[in-house]
Order: sequence, then C-alpha cells, then structure tokens
Amino acid sequence: MRGEVLRGHLDLLILATVDRDPAHGYLVVERLKERSGGVLGLAEGTVYPALHRLERAGLLASSWSKSDARPRRVYRLTRRGRAELAARRDEWKRFSGAVKAVVA
Amino acid sequence: MTYVDVLRRELALVGIRGRSARRIVAEVDDHLRSDPEAEPRFGSARDLANEFAAELGTTASRRSAVAAFAALGVAGAVYAVAFVGANHAGRAAGGEPLASLAFAVIVVAPQLAFVAGSLALLRAWRLRRERVLASSERTVIARRGAVALGSGLVTMAAWLVFALAFRGQLAGWWVTFTLAASAAAVVLLAAAAVPALVAARLQPAVAGPAGDVFDDLGLQRYRTDPWRFARRVALLVGLGVWIAGIAAADPFDGLLRGLIEALACFGGFALLGRYLGLRS
Repeated sequence: MRGEVLRGHLDLLILATVDRDPAHGYLVVERLKERSGGVLGLAEGTVYPALHRLERAGLLASSWSKSDARPRRVYRLTRRGRAELAARRDEWKRFSGAVKAVVA
Repeated sequence: MTYVDVLRRELALVGIRGRSARRIVAEVDDHLRSDPEAEPRFGSARDLANEFAAELGTTASRRSAVAAFAALGVAGAVYAVAFVGANHAGRAAGGEPLASLAFAVIVVAPQLAFVAGSLALLRAWRLRRERVLASSERTVIARRGAVALGSGLVTMAAWLVFALAFRGQLAGWWVTFTLAASAAAVVLLAAAAVPALVAARLQPAVAGPAGDVFDDLGLQRYRTDPWRFARRVALLVGLGVWIAGIAAADPFDGLLRGLIEALACFGGFALLGRYLGLRS
C-alpha cells in the first residue's frame, strides 16, 4: 500500500497495535504486517518518531523491559490513549463505510 | 561505521543529545539486531535524525511559547500591583537620570513584552495541530518569545531600579513588595527561557514558509499593503489611549499620550516587523 495512505492513518494503526498487549517498536511493525496479512508494511523510519510523538502527547506510556535478552522500550496505551483510540475507531468506521458506499 | 553509529552522530548534529539520543539509538539498535534486513526501511540516518528533531522541536517550540506567556502573565500581575500601588505609596519627585530611564522602560517595555508574547502564543496555537513545524515558523516563535521574555526581564529590572531609587520617598510596604515581587518575577522569567533554549538547541531542516501576522490573525487582505494594517492598528491604539484620557477627565494629556502611543506602535511595526514575522 502506498506510503502516503498509511501515513494518514499512522497514529490510529500504532495505537491499535498496542491496544490489547504492550509492544516494543519491532513488535509493533511485526504485528501490523501480521494482522494485515502483509498488506500494511510501515517503514521503520516512520514508526519510531511516531511512537515518541504519541508518548509526548500522553497517548502512550513506555518503560524499559528487562524480561528480554537486552533492554527494550515497551509501549502501552494510557487511559487517554484508549479514549483516543475509541474515538478514532468510530471516526474510521464512519469514513470507511461512507467510502465503501460510494466506491463499491 | 554501522548505521547506529551514523545515527548517533546525526542526532548530535541536529541537537538531540543525552538521554533522548541514547534512547533512540538503543531502540533502533535493538530493532536492527532483531531484523538486520530492516536497515533500508529506516531510511538514511540523517533523515531519521531530522524527523526526530523536527517532531521534538515542534513540541519544544510550542512549549516555549506557552511557558513564556505564562511567566509574562505572572510578571504582568506583579506589574499591575506595583503600578497601581505606586499611586497610593506617596509622591516620587526628582530622582537620578537612571530612575527616569527606568520609568520610561516601565512604560514601553511591558507593551512590547505583551505584544510579542501574545503573538508567540498565537502562532503556536494556530499551528497546534501541525505534526511538524517548518524551521522558519519555529524561528518566528523563538524570536517572538525571546523579545517577550527579554522585554519582561527589562521591565522587572526597571521596577527594581525605580524602587531602589525612590525607597526614601515612597511607602515602605510598596518598596518591599516591588523589590521582592520583581526579583521573583525575574527568576520566573529566566526559568521560562529554559524551554526556549531547549527548542533552540534542536535544529532540524524542515522547509516551508514562515508566514506572517496576517496568517496569525486571519487578515490576509492586508498582506498586499502591511503598512495600511500598521496605520490602522496605530490609529486604534492611539484612539483608545485618548478615550481613556477623556474618561479620566484629562483629554489634552490623553491626546498627547495617544499620539505618542500611536507613533510608538507604528515605529515598532517598522523596526521589528520583519524580525518578529509581522510582515514578510
């Protein structure tokens, strides 16, 4: 899928990938590929700045995980992030439904 | 040199150092150890460092504008109490040239601080939804914030000088309050400069126009003739001061002050207009 299409929904996609379980950056990229059946491949160069930005905005929180072989920064949704994700999901459903109705 | 080494160097070049840099490098290093083939998808280390700096710099610039305005708000309250209180603290007569200069600063500098601080906040607010600000826009916010804080600091220093010069003639409570509150405001304004310094340290290259005050105010029709805008604002300010003079039963003095205020306003636009991004 074209990069600019993905970029427009980058925040929603990242928030959705850490919705159920916290994840480090590598896992975020992997989950996205896996859940989309390989269609959505985010460039790593866009994921990490976005993770940092979402954390600064208070939508994600992060901490170093010591359970892995080397320390990894693990991201999880905050309460504000969860509310934001719910709002963006609704927005996306309305938008995609409308586009589908017009295009299909 | 590995990708991570180059990234570390590039981060330092755009002003990301210390804990932030170490964290970014550690995350990218971990990712590349998990998937060595991911390196091309990170893009060049320079672009990645620039992206981080652009996003960090945008947040820092907005924060610096808010911090400057908040500190100026407190300083403004100190100013108001000192100014009103001076009328009830006795009569200050004579004084050295330094005291006269301090009084002139007390009249002029806070106006500059208020206008520049408001414009910095206005620009930051107008662009609050932008993920990344152009470098030129960040420069405008930085300049407005610096002028606002500088003027605020000079104003508070002038109150200190004024209070010391007239400490024998004015009421003790006023002198004590003015010295203590102005000194506290100086510390606060200096502290508010820290976020501005943090923002200035980040130097990403992000192309884009700086915009002007007509973008900020939504008055694009004036862009073709910014001097018409300056004349109108000066006229309105001058009229306001004159009307205030009439309300205080002092129309002639009010008219004189209104003229001076209008001239100062127009002169400020001429002198600082380009520097503060009022006109392009």
